[in-house]
Amino acid sequence: MFLRLDHVSKHFPARAGSGEVRAVDDVQIDIERGQFVTLLGPSGCGKTTTLRLIAGFEFPTFGRIILDGEVINELPPNRRDMAMVFQSYAIFPHLNVYENIAYGLKIKKLSSQEIRRKIADVMALTELTGLENRAPNQLSGGQQQRVALARALVMEPKVLLFDEPLSNLDAKLRVQMRTEIRRIQQELGITSVYVTHDQDEAMVLSDKIVVMHQGRVQQIGTALEIYRRPHNRFVADFIGRANFLPVRVLDRASSMWVLELLGQVIEAPGEEDAAIRKSGQAVLMIRPESIRLSPTPPNNEKAAWSGVVTRTSYLGSFIEYDVEIADQKLLAVRYDPAESDLYPVHQAVYVQFLPENAYLLPGE
Amino acid sequence: MSASISKPRSAFWRHWQEVRLIGQDPMLAIGLIVVASFVFLFVALPLLRVIYQGFVNPVTGEFSLVYFAQFLDPYFGPYLWQVVRNTLIMGVGAAAGGTILGFIFAYALVRCNFPFARLVHIVTLLPTISPPFAIAIATILLFGRNGLITRQLLGIRFGPGVNDIYGLDGLIFVQIITFFPVSYLIIRAMLERIDASMEEAALSLRASKFHIFRTITLPLLAPGIAASFLLLFVESLADLGNPLLLGGNVSVLSTEIYLAVAGQFDQQKGAALSLVLLLPTLTVFLLQRYYISRRSYISVTGKPTGGQIFVKEPVIRWIFIVLTLLALALVLMLYFTILWGSFTVLWGVNNQLYLGNYATAFSRGLNAILSTTFLSAVATPVAGLIGVIVAFMVVRRTFIGKQTLDFVSNLGGAVPGTILGIGYIVAYIGAPWIAILIVYALLAGYLASRATTRSWAALALLTAVTVAGYYLNWTPILLGQSETGWRFLLMAAFLLLALLGAAFAQPGKSRVVALLFAMMALALLVYNLSPWVTEPLARWGRQLPGVDLPKIVVKVSAFITFFTQPTPAILGYTFLTLSVFAVEQMRPRARPWLAFAAAALSASLIFYGNSLTLVGTPYIIVMAYAVRSLPAAVRAGVAALQQIDPSLEEASNILGGDAQYTFRHVTLPLILPAFFAGLIYAFATHMTSLSAVIFLTTAQWPILTVWILSEVEQGGMSVAAAYSVILIAIVLTAIGLMSLWLKRVYGASQRIDMTLGG
Repeated sequence: MFLRLDHVSKHFPARAGSGEVRAVDDVQIDIERGQFVTLLGPSGCGKTTTLRLIAGFEFPTFGRIILDGEVINELPPNRRDMAMVFQSYAIFPHLNVYENIAYGLKIKKLSSQEIRRKIADVMALTELTGLENRAPNQLSGGQQQRVALARALVMEPKVLLFDEPLSNLDAKLRVQMRTEIRRIQQELGITSVYVTHDQDEAMVLSDKIVVMHQGRVQQIGTALEIYRRPHNRFVADFIGRANFLPVRVLDRASSMWVLELLGQVIEAPGEEDAAIRKSGQAVLMIRPESIRLSPTPPNNEKAAWSGVVTRTSYLGSFIEYDVEIADQKLLAVRYDPAESDLYPVHQAVYVQFLPENAYLLPGE
Repeated sequence: MSASISKPRSAFWRHWQEVRLIGQDPMLAIGLIVVASFVFLFVALPLLRVIYQGFVNPVTGEFSLVYFAQFLDPYFGPYLWQVVRNTLIMGVGAAAGGTILGFIFAYALVRCNFPFARLVHIVTLLPTISPPFAIAIATILLFGRNGLITRQLLGIRFGPGVNDIYGLDGLIFVQIITFFPVSYLIIRAMLERIDASMEEAALSLRASKFHIFRTITLPLLAPGIAASFLLLFVESLADLGNPLLLGGNVSVLSTEIYLAVAGQFDQQKGAALSLVLLLPTLTVFLLQRYYISRRSYISVTGKPTGGQIFVKEPVIRWIFIVLTLLALALVLMLYFTILWGSFTVLWGVNNQLYLGNYATAFSRGLNAILSTTFLSAVATPVAGLIGVIVAFMVVRRTFIGKQTLDFVSNLGGAVPGTILGIGYIVAYIGAPWIAILIVYALLAGYLASRATTRSWAALALLTAVTVAGYYLNWTPILLGQSETGWRFLLMAAFLLLALLGAAFAQPGKSRVVALLFAMMALALLVYNLSPWVTEPLARWGRQLPGVDLPKIVVKVSAFITFFTQPTPAILGYTFLTLSVFAVEQMRPRARPWLAFAAAALSASLIFYGNSLTLVGTPYIIVMAYAVRSLPAAVRAGVAALQQIDPSLEEASNILGGDAQYTFRHVTLPLILPAFFAGLIYAFATHMTSLSAVIFLTTAQWPILTVWILSEVEQGGMSVAAAYSVILIAIVLTAIGLMSLWLKRVYGASQRIDMTLGG
């Protein structure tokens, strides 16, 4: 393993009173060479602290950080051979673009010829050529972002760290920059750790996503795994949107759960779980786009529930509905809607969904 | 996933980690040790000694409460209580009056669309750069027994029993004028930072203007008003110049302390009274620091908000403007009086234009003018350097004792200067051995810990160094050598170290090591050789024609000696500090040996003779100055640092720059302009301070403020006024030069911010 966080914890003294806050709690992450890993979670989940532990701005209270077979727990940042793109870009305001990018190379004591060559390469790669002598305050937000990226890339670090680098850009530029970051990372094959709270960003960029909450790792997996097979309710709710319906578990047959949902028996996927087997209590996660509504009884064999529409919102590319079945409220989404799909409130509808796209999770 | 293995670690463990982390970076560790030693030696130690002295008879060394008992004594008691009462009345009066006046000025200038607000702002700040009793002198000239207004215009003759300017009322009046700018700056800063939208929100809820003022503006300003009141109260209590000049028969604590030490030579009495004065001062200081500043709703560090509301009711607006103009006219009149007074033969008797006062001032006070300016200028970078390190440590690092460091570094400026002055005399009349040893142990201990890897080895090394350093001291006596010869010997040893160090340094570092040790040898050489330059220079100067020229040349010779022949302990501490950086560059195996040799040689200097007996030397005055302006320097540093995004430093760090590279290439260039601008305030503080140095000044190093005071006491009002004008002119020149230089180097964006001094 190239970079490993081995049961890493970071405790801070609590702001008020005594005691400690566990900002990072027993985190175990393995990152392979060349991989792009994203730490994803709501603010205060410990993702930035984890990144700062990797960078060396904080040292772990417990556990080990291993880079390339070497424990680097308390190695200061300047000796870690990493580079970082900061949320605020952290471009030195008293240096011009060229000097900013050259900053780390000068510390490495490279010859000025080599520095010039490397900077020319990286500026071409990040499409900054021609801006060498600009002062930072003469750059647009996107350009500043590129300078920050170039300054990190030019170091050819073992690990490239990103701390929410796109959060200060406007929406359009954000989308453009994230594909660009992915392109450059693939081109150079740099191992990267990326922190964000934006799930789209995480899904577009990453080979592997680490979902964190309250200092703990909730799940590690590809975008598909995390979306389709979340480990728990938090992950399901944080990545995309989800409905959770209480169900009674009847049996497990050929790696599927047999369960009863509001009077009907269906089969749904889900991880084997002794607790669910024992209690028989669980919730079924259904993504809104998995739900199909029809005003007339569907003419197939599959299970259907009757309900009432309580809200219809037209958003152009899709329609959102709130539907009530029994006492449960469901969120449903219909993409590429026709005009006839605009059901009025109080309309009675029949609800169906693809059980194979639903997922069984441990209850409350 | 395995169960969490975490168990709570003790706070001690965490603190130890923090210390260890700072220790890993020699630059940081040395910086911390240096500032901690400075505030320990020159703030904590003198204050502790004053407290101790209050309870001990200086002659017999016995514990005694005699001066506290006097408060209960039927003979001394009533007088002492009267003094305390006077002090409190003066403090409350000056604080209340100054705050009200400060509020009126702030409100008029910020809210009332005042004409020429910028100009008025600058004039208002004049008292902050004037000597402490300039206003008092002007007041005496105008309203005194022989005053222009009282006698000439109103024709009042002061017989016995007539209420004249001398006494509590006149004193409070002068203090109000002297201190109100501080209040103005605090309240102005608050007022500017109140978000206009808050008052607009209240207006949209149909609150009347007065209702808004009462329920929104005033509560938001309350912390500022309280802070201003407390600060003025403390400043008034600490003031020595004005009560001496204007007190008349009324005595307050600060003058009692001064008279006890300077008149009765009774240090215990001075110290005991200092404790009585320290009590309200410290209470207010703690109250301000830990209570009021936390209750503030407005952060004063941010930039002023864009929109300002202006008062639209003409009546209110004009009331404020007229009041401000009246007060302003008074201030201007007082300053004009000083200027005028300095050009008259004998104020009130012969008001002819006359330049003789300046001739007198320059010939008689030339030494004082030169000395004060020189020592103030030297103390400025000292305060600046210590201030910026303290600010950096406080803003950017966590370590145990950070709060204490911050607290103590502010304390030196907050306590009355008289108390600090007594502390210096008591602490530095002889060598403060325990303190010397503590500082030595800190430096040498750190050096030992960098030279070896094991703690027992470091401890053994420290012991060996100390013993060797102590016995090295005996060699000159055993060899029957002169001091000069002894220094030549040390110099040779350091040269040898330079050679050895270069031989066993890490590859590529030989030059640095050799240079460091060679510099130490050079310092000793310069020490020995400087009399060869300074003595002939002084001799040559003395036989020059004229009165002024010889004085200047002799003084220049003294300035050179100031730098070339410092107290051995200062030299030793400096060498020890530099040795850390040299040892850092050595091969691991050579480190303990080189560390031993370098530290033992430095230690012998530290232990040499009456080490650090600073009373009578100009260094103690420099330290007193630096301590007085340290809070302002720290504040300037903190304000500058808070403007810098910490991720800039982290970016440099992860790009390969260590702490000192980052500091030199990122932090320092960014804070420098604001920091330089802050330094000018430190210089002004030095030039105008009186109480802290009044006991420390010597015949060779006279201080201008002290001279003004004695001039006034001898009745030489016009000459005193001339001195005051000269002093103000020097400070203004310094401000002008600094802003000119800043403008040239950093462009027009940098403005000298006198508010940092508030």
